[in-house]
Amino acid sequence: MSTTTSPPPIRFTGSKYLVQRLVVSTLTGRPIRISQIRSNSTTSPGLLPHEISFLRLLDTITNGSLIEFSMTGTTLLYRPGLLTGSAQGYGADTSGVLKHELPRECTRGVSYYLLPLCLLAPFSKAALNVLFTGAGVITSSTPSTGDISVDTVRTAILPLYRSFGIENNIELRILRRSNPGPGNRGGGGEVQLLFGHQVRLPKTVHLLNPGRVKSIKGVAYATGVSAANNARMIEAARGVLNPFVANTYIFSDVSSAPLVPDGSKTAQPGAKRKIGVGFGISLVAESSTGALWSADVASPPEGGVPPEDVGRGAAYQLLETISKGGYVSAVAAPTVLTLMAMGSEDVGRVKMGRDVLGTKEVVSLARDLRAFGASGWGLRDADEDEQGDVVVSVVGRGVGNVGRKIA
Amino acid sequence: MAVTLGKRKRVRRETGSKIETAPQDAPNDSDQEDLQATFRRHFEARFKPLADLAKPKEKPVDLVAEESTEEESEWDGISEDEEAPVEIIEHSTSADAASLLDKQAQKAFMSSKPPTSTPTSTARFKRPTSPTEADGEALNLKNDLALQRLLKESHLLDSTTDYTPSGSNRHKATDIRLQSLGSKSSIHVQEKMPMSHRRGITAKATSKEEQRRREAKENGIILERAVKVQKMAGGRRERGVGTPGVGKFRGGMLKLSKRDVASIEGPKKSMKGRRR
Repeated sequence: MSTTTSPPPIRFTGSKYLVQRLVVSTLTGRPIRISQIRSNSTTSPGLLPHEISFLRLLDTITNGSLIEFSMTGTTLLYRPGLLTGSAQGYGADTSGVLKHELPRECTRGVSYYLLPLCLLAPFSKAALNVLFTGAGVITSSTPSTGDISVDTVRTAILPLYRSFGIENNIELRILRRSNPGPGNRGGGGEVQLLFGHQVRLPKTVHLLNPGRVKSIKGVAYATGVSAANNARMIEAARGVLNPFVANTYIFSDVSSAPLVPDGSKTAQPGAKRKIGVGFGISLVAESSTGALWSADVASPPEGGVPPEDVGRGAAYQLLETISKGGYVSAVAAPTVLTLMAMGSEDVGRVKMGRDVLGTKEVVSLARDLRAFGASGWGLRDADEDEQGDVVVSVVGRGVGNVGRKIA
Repeated sequence: MAVTLGKRKRVRRETGSKIETAPQDAPNDSDQEDLQATFRRHFEARFKPLADLAKPKEKPVDLVAEESTEEESEWDGISEDEEAPVEIIEHSTSADAASLLDKQAQKAFMSSKPPTSTPTSTARFKRPTSPTEADGEALNLKNDLALQRLLKESHLLDSTTDYTPSGSNRHKATDIRLQSLGSKSSIHVQEKMPMSHRRGITAKATSKEEQRRREAKENGIILERAVKVQKMAGGRRERGVGTPGVGKFRGGMLKLSKRDVASIEGPKKSMKGRRR
């Protein structure tokens, strides 16, 4: 890569949508330069620990990428390399598992790493097998930052890859659960993502018929607290949802609180402490045509919220998500649209609700893709229904998996 | 009804001795003793021989007398209503099936793989085919298989009436069946043999083929196009990483043949016609 003259980096400003930009940059192979990252902040200018951790992860799964920070960390230059996956000798151990430790200051859920990783994995050269460990892995949804839970990633996001022809050998193992720790920081969870289906190009999709909700499923999880919390959450959620869909199953998962090394100065050496105590619920509604809508609520780390409120809140959130309409929810929209933009040089279509299309993430993704040289999206009203949904037409880039092409 | 039954049983079990002592007041008729003996025999035939010999005289009587009266009364009831249609009420719900489905759904949903769309339980509502239909289907399949085999293996059969090949023909038939099932190689092909034998076999095969082609050509018969056997592409085999790419490495010594040296040196530039 260094032999060829690389194109000048595309310039962005601001700390927002950092991950999204890095992902698109890696997929398109265009270098980016992001400046003014929290340059106005007096207390913590520059990149935050979770962002740096993501950059590290990006460095391990690619070969030949270049990451440069400025002195203050407010400017970042990223030249993407080839996506190799967890190949032996590039950070993965002998069994091909790439271990990634998240720092204890991490405030984001592990889905913050999983979603971009799942987007990159189909285009890597070899299978991707990453184990997230350390004192910063939060598997639940995070009330402070709004990340979705690992269960939602597995049950609402990963099934979407099936319509793109990416379906084999994908697993997301939740080895240990954790809610956010005190002060929304850290957790002691453990999650392993195995993404073993690499493709040349994702299939072109036409997701136009959302269908009707036929079943609602979910997972209620309690970590280090009584299992009765699960039962109470499930009962409250079912109380709201059952009149609409009788086919509602919410499963319960109870686990003990994870132990992490105690990092405080007064602690004995080798002492451990419990972290990440709490409960939460993840709900997924599936339609007759395979559309998925999800909702996620978890208890805040400071407590004080009864499980009934959490369960009912999740149910209402799910109903709200469904009411927004379209084939994809706001949570899944960036994934679907990015995959469509990276697909074959063909027009794919997806129906989206107006409120979903108008979210900041989707709009910024559209702008970023334009900046990376992708063709613009076509929008038209889906005239046949009264909901006011919009059909988004996306032309694929037609380059796809570079590593796959060479191999 | 059930409550009284349970109570009676318990009484019998706990205070067995009392009952045994009490009925001693009852009159001991000879025919009743006969009856006892009969029931006792019957009981012993069905269950274990009774351990206590002296005392349990009354016990089976007591038990059987009660049971017999009950049975009689019940039996009468049924026999009276023989004409009336029997009403069957099943109180079993499909809870078992539902819980089984629950388990399956939980397994499918809570596994580490992304869940597939909810499976529709068609298996439960599968209509059983009528037995005659199924039998006919099975018979048809069987006949079909037999016919297929006959067609394929008929050349192995000699003039005997038996349709099951025997001896070496049986082995050949097995081979054909295996290959039709997807076996890659015949069981008759010998894997290991001396090099000279193999060479001889291939030489014979090629000479035979050549002769056949030659004769056909002489007689003006057009044969199928000859399939050229591809030689192993590339002179060299795949070798281990880190071994030298040229020559033979034996006994810690790399031997280069003349050809190897020539290939390393490349084509010699002739200096004849060129000036410096």
